[in-house]
Amino acid sequence: MDLLRTDWFGLLVAFLAGATALALTQPTFLSTFNIYVMLTAFSLSVLVALSQMVILAIGQLNLSVGAIGGLAAIAFAGTMEVWGLPIPLAMLIGVLIGIGCGALNGAVTHLTGLNAFVVTLATLSIFKGITIGITEAQPFYGIPDAVKAFGNARIGFFPYLLFVSGALLLGMLVFMRRAKLGRQLLAVGGNRSAAELSGIHIGKVVIAAHIISGTLAAVAGMLAVARLQLGQPTIGDDWLIESFAAPVIGGAVLAGGHVSVVGTVLGVAIITLINNALVLLNVDPFAVQLLLGALILAAVALSRFRDPP
Amino acid sequence: MTDKLVITGASKAFPGVKALDDVGLTLKAGSIHALLGENGAGKSTLIKIITGVHRPDAGTVTLDGAPVVFHNPREAIAAGIAAVHQERNLIPRFSVAENIVLERLPGQGGLVDYRAVRADAKRAMAPLGLSLDPDTPVRNLSVAHMQLVEIAKALSLDARLLVLDEPTASITPHETDTLFTLLRGLRDKGVAILFVSHKLDEVFALCDTVTVLRDGKNACPSRPLDALSYGDVVRLMIGRDAQAVRRTERTISGSPVLALKGVSTALGHRNISFSVRAGEILGLYGLVGAGRTELAKSILGVARVTAGGVEVDGKAVNIMSVVEALGTHRIGYVSEDRKHEGLVLMHSVRRNVAVTVWRRLARALGWLPDAAERDTVMPFIERLKVRTPSLAQPVSLLSGGNQQKVSVAKWLAAEVRILIIDEPTVGIDIQTKAYLHELIHELAAAGTAVILISSDMPEMIALADKIVVMAEFEVVGELPNTHDAAGMGEAIMACIHKVEAA
Repeated sequence: MDLLRTDWFGLLVAFLAGATALALTQPTFLSTFNIYVMLTAFSLSVLVALSQMVILAIGQLNLSVGAIGGLAAIAFAGTMEVWGLPIPLAMLIGVLIGIGCGALNGAVTHLTGLNAFVVTLATLSIFKGITIGITEAQPFYGIPDAVKAFGNARIGFFPYLLFVSGALLLGMLVFMRRAKLGRQLLAVGGNRSAAELSGIHIGKVVIAAHIISGTLAAVAGMLAVARLQLGQPTIGDDWLIESFAAPVIGGAVLAGGHVSVVGTVLGVAIITLINNALVLLNVDPFAVQLLLGALILAAVALSRFRDPP
Repeated sequence: MTDKLVITGASKAFPGVKALDDVGLTLKAGSIHALLGENGAGKSTLIKIITGVHRPDAGTVTLDGAPVVFHNPREAIAAGIAAVHQERNLIPRFSVAENIVLERLPGQGGLVDYRAVRADAKRAMAPLGLSLDPDTPVRNLSVAHMQLVEIAKALSLDARLLVLDEPTASITPHETDTLFTLLRGLRDKGVAILFVSHKLDEVFALCDTVTVLRDGKNACPSRPLDALSYGDVVRLMIGRDAQAVRRTERTISGSPVLALKGVSTALGHRNISFSVRAGEILGLYGLVGAGRTELAKSILGVARVTAGGVEVDGKAVNIMSVVEALGTHRIGYVSEDRKHEGLVLMHSVRRNVAVTVWRRLARALGWLPDAAERDTVMPFIERLKVRTPSLAQPVSLLSGGNQQKVSVAKWLAAEVRILIIDEPTVGIDIQTKAYLHELIHELAAAGTAVILISSDMPEMIALADKIVVMAEFEVVGELPNTHDAAGMGEAIMACIHKVEAA
């Protein structure tokens, strides 16, 4: 009974049931290459989902996750191609862009008291505008071979990309459970005025959450460059729905104060599985969107039932 | 004794209301000082200035002889000021332990040491005799336990100045005794304590000195309490002698309009029975958290009735929604929480009142003529003497008392037969309070069945015909009202204590 009340148990059962069904009906599902394809997709999606999850924890939304990822991706690819910067320096610039964009979102939200929805809607447009301005909507093709190789490298079914996102994922797991700042994020999301009256620095916490969100999005953007083998200015354009879907399926409360890293990871896993299944079964890609929408509604309804407000 | 905290000439205005006007207070180290006043007198605002939530528009705050300005609660805490605020200030999903040490989680390198968290929390709870499992999420606790956790949290800061705003509102007399013993101990160690309570007997039992506020002004500056009598304090609080509410002669007709028979609800009520007749005022009394508001919402169909029966005019009904409660049975509910549930603050007076009658006023295709709204609303605004420049004024710009009148007006406009009024006079001035009391009598005299929910004992005894006492989501007594304040007060508390003892 206690297992049923956790955020992750039902999701794990759903994931295993889906995977088993696919394994039994689709011979290619368990092939090394197919698992590699799924894990590659997972590597990117999980960072995008965690990037949104951190903001949901404080009871806000971040619409600019994709735009930050796109800008970082372009900066990463562009500085290497145009300025010939070494890879580590380009990576550093990408991360700094994530931190900077996040700090901007957090600071504006906190200082103006405006709703994060409006603030990140505006910055989404600003960041995206910069990306298009820099690239003139043309991709950067001159990516160093080492980056391309990293994007394709794998040990069996295990993509190198997963080393990066796996490490960040474990970091987030510890962060949300045991770090003081992680607990403060949830405290601010759970009851803002109580947190403030207890002496928690609200502004610091809000800005920190946005910086973490921006950094995760930036790393996801750079991984996307490695995976695509080019600096595509459209990176991040299609992240929005998934970024909300996985945390919400994973039990996040939109009003803030409760998120689950494990639940979010399983949410990403389920979405990845559905995407893969529809490819294997040759289903129209529009069906993915439809199914995803239905899944979000089902997850929210389930959490209402399991955990009334 | 040295002066710990001195406030002089403090003023604070909010849009539409002057909350504090030239208020002074002197709090000595090693004393317990009562801050008294009616709801809306400005106590909470003054406390929020002391604890760094608000900054005064004018005036000075001096701590240990040096002037201070707190920009936020962190600075006040750092200066050694701890507070238990009136509003619930816990993180519902966090454990008891984490809530107690929230802003100073022990641990190293940015990581939390949960063993230390639990140990710290147990140490903080011990003096209060509180033995909760530190890992229990706070939202699973009773209201009384939540309040005790907040007190433990404040005490654990080892503050030199402790502010307690209604700390005993929902705890038992036994727990109150434990708390008072603790507070006296702290006082003897030189801690300055500011104590706010509506329970005057508590104040006289515990406090050394008193400041009384009335309508945002000092009704009395800080002075020794032992020179004052109950009557003196009440006079200072309300500006005149306590007087009985003018009672209109009423006829209470025979059969019940609304009857609950052994009702249990999804919210946890068990076996609730009472009935109210036309022209009758039934009082629902209980401590905070006794389940009165929740019962009202169950009657209205917001939460499910799971067992027993609700009868309107003797016929069993199963009310599934507020639409049905209002539309079919004409049951209205004046919410205790006018800011969140009673009114749409940014909307005009006119729209707020007319919302209950839009269905009646709408013409073909749902067209709602302004003139029809105005003509319907105006008589009620005039009758309730709502002070507003026009019907177009946003409700947020009215004073608390006038907001409450608008909140009541919308239900008068709805012409309900059964009206549930939840804490109608919290946070409003004395004149409006007296006026609303008369209005409730008038409503009953006109044949409305009134259910009055109130934690204000004098209000309850002044208004109700009979008093149903609730504790822990059950009815623990039904008493005919003799209107004898002392006797009724004792009888009501006896009902509540009986349950606690069991």
